[in-house]
Amino acid sequence: MMRIRSPKDFWAGLIFVAIGGGFVLLAQQYRLGDMHRMGPAMFPTLIGALLAALGLIIALRSFVLDGAPVPRFDARPIGISMLAIVLFGIALQWLGLVAAIAALVLVGAYASREVRLVDNLALAAVMIVFSVAVFVWLLGLPLPLWPTS
Amino acid sequence: METLSNLAFGLGVALTWQNILYCFIGCFLGTLVGVLPGIGPVATVAMLLPFTFGLGPAPALIMLAGIYYGAQYGGSTTAILVNIPGESSSVVTTLDGHQMARRGRAGPALGIAAIGSFIAGCIATLLIAYFAPPLAELALKFSPAEYFSLMVFGLIAAVVLARGSLVKAIAMVCFGILLGLVGTDVNSGVIRFAFGQAELADGLGFVALAMAFFGITDVVLNLEHKEKQQVFTSRIGSVLPTRADLRACFWSIVRGTSLGSLLGVLPGGGALLASFAAYMVEKKVAKPPRAFGAGDIRGVAAPESANNAGAQTSFIPMLTLGIPSNPTMALMVGALMIQGIAPGPQVMTERPELFWGLIASMWVGNLMLLVLNLPLVGLWIKLLAVPYRLLFPAIFVFCCIGAYAVDNKVFDVYALAGLSAAGYVLLKLDCEPAPMVLGYILGPMMEENLRRAMMISFGDPMVLITRPISAAFLIAAVALLLAIALPALRAKREEAMQE
Repeated sequence: MMRIRSPKDFWAGLIFVAIGGGFVLLAQQYRLGDMHRMGPAMFPTLIGALLAALGLIIALRSFVLDGAPVPRFDARPIGISMLAIVLFGIALQWLGLVAAIAALVLVGAYASREVRLVDNLALAAVMIVFSVAVFVWLLGLPLPLWPTS
Repeated sequence: METLSNLAFGLGVALTWQNILYCFIGCFLGTLVGVLPGIGPVATVAMLLPFTFGLGPAPALIMLAGIYYGAQYGGSTTAILVNIPGESSSVVTTLDGHQMARRGRAGPALGIAAIGSFIAGCIATLLIAYFAPPLAELALKFSPAEYFSLMVFGLIAAVVLARGSLVKAIAMVCFGILLGLVGTDVNSGVIRFAFGQAELADGLGFVALAMAFFGITDVVLNLEHKEKQQVFTSRIGSVLPTRADLRACFWSIVRGTSLGSLLGVLPGGGALLASFAAYMVEKKVAKPPRAFGAGDIRGVAAPESANNAGAQTSFIPMLTLGIPSNPTMALMVGALMIQGIAPGPQVMTERPELFWGLIASMWVGNLMLLVLNLPLVGLWIKLLAVPYRLLFPAIFVFCCIGAYAVDNKVFDVYALAGLSAAGYVLLKLDCEPAPMVLGYILGPMMEENLRRAMMISFGDPMVLITRPISAAFLIAAVALLLAIALPALRAKREEAMQE
């Protein structure tokens, strides 16, 4: 019976095979051309195949070489962070920068286990003032401040 | 003589009040963020990128360079006072630096780090001024085949010196290259790998990518670890080293600077390798060697000089060849592209004010770091007391605004979220992001040059081997790979990484 001795490598390898293979497959909708006149599909196909091959090596190697187990995935920090960033994007589009920063800071803070609401409200206020002053007024970046009706 | 007149021209650019101001802001912000534990130079530069968006190319680059060496220096401050390296290149500084702090000599440790960095920075700046132009001229003669092979060599050298598994690092390079190919193909006009998203026509946002992999995932991993940091709060005392200190350190600084300058130019080298090597050499060479690891001031002076010299000379391949040798330089190349400048040897001739202005500003910036850091050390220490739970939402804000503001696309904010998740999973599986970012930057250039080379050679790939310079690069790349693959050398490498 084959046993996976390095789970980290095994999964990393599989991911690389999937990504490499995916790019190779996707590339086939474009023109391949030949070596003299390389089409848009040629280089991605070469690199994608290389990536898939490397992934295969990494995955197969995991049956031979010992390695660390896959560490625990802590859902809270990454999940909350992503949620906060997506909220920032939605809020920025519809409600403007002020609301977006407030949402990002107040929601994002929950990515940590230690949350103090009062501190975070103050932090949100500071970040809003700072960002508006520096990015919008000083640097003149075209960020919408308020809801665009 | 020409170098001097060029430098004088550069100083003329760097010393306009506007550029001095941006250099100062860069150094200040860089140190400020760099001091914060857990935020390395790459994350600092990525995070502060949006501050340069409204500026022209020269001020933007000058400010970014200031941010970079500010962050580098800030990291050392943290290393000495908290025993937590703000970045990998100040790991060795913790060895003797923190011991000095424990013995009440934090002041001189910080002082010698600043002085050593300043001297190293000045010398490295001169080196860049002397060696960059001939290198750029040589690179201008490169044909596409040579350029392609050079990039292969650069990428291989960068991963060989990186941490962790070599195969994984090369796989990450390939992944980066593929991500770099997303968007419109310049040759055929076909939009590749965009899944019908019009927003992806210009490619996957570089800023979103860099911030996801070096900003957000860093925060997430830090939050998972929730280590308690204890700040070393004893009095700093005078930051001025004694006369005896200076005498003891003189040769250490010289050695550190020369080693650092040399290693900084290598692809994959830069500050990290420089500081490690300098410390190891110092331990062997310095006499008497007794106190290393127990608060020897030379153990601070040498690696600090080396990492600053290395940080500075790593600009050489970036400025002359357009090839980034480490992730920070990849960010610089990205910043150039955002400013609409194609990085490469032509920058020196086409935009001399940018090239020489940046070089001269390095010297100005080093002077600034010295005057900024010695009196302001007290302020930096106070920053160390800011709890992480207040810091990380601020990092989120800068990353999100940065991702959006490059092109004013909300899509890039969503890309930031998605790439952060990808980066998180990859990091959990021990796949380092640094090689990926290099691949991302170099991918499109490699494709372009390979295409041209094949066009000229009528599809004969042998052209990569029959042209001597190109062949030399490829042979060097293969030799590097073999050297690492051989077990004896591999053991040595592990050993060096352990230390």
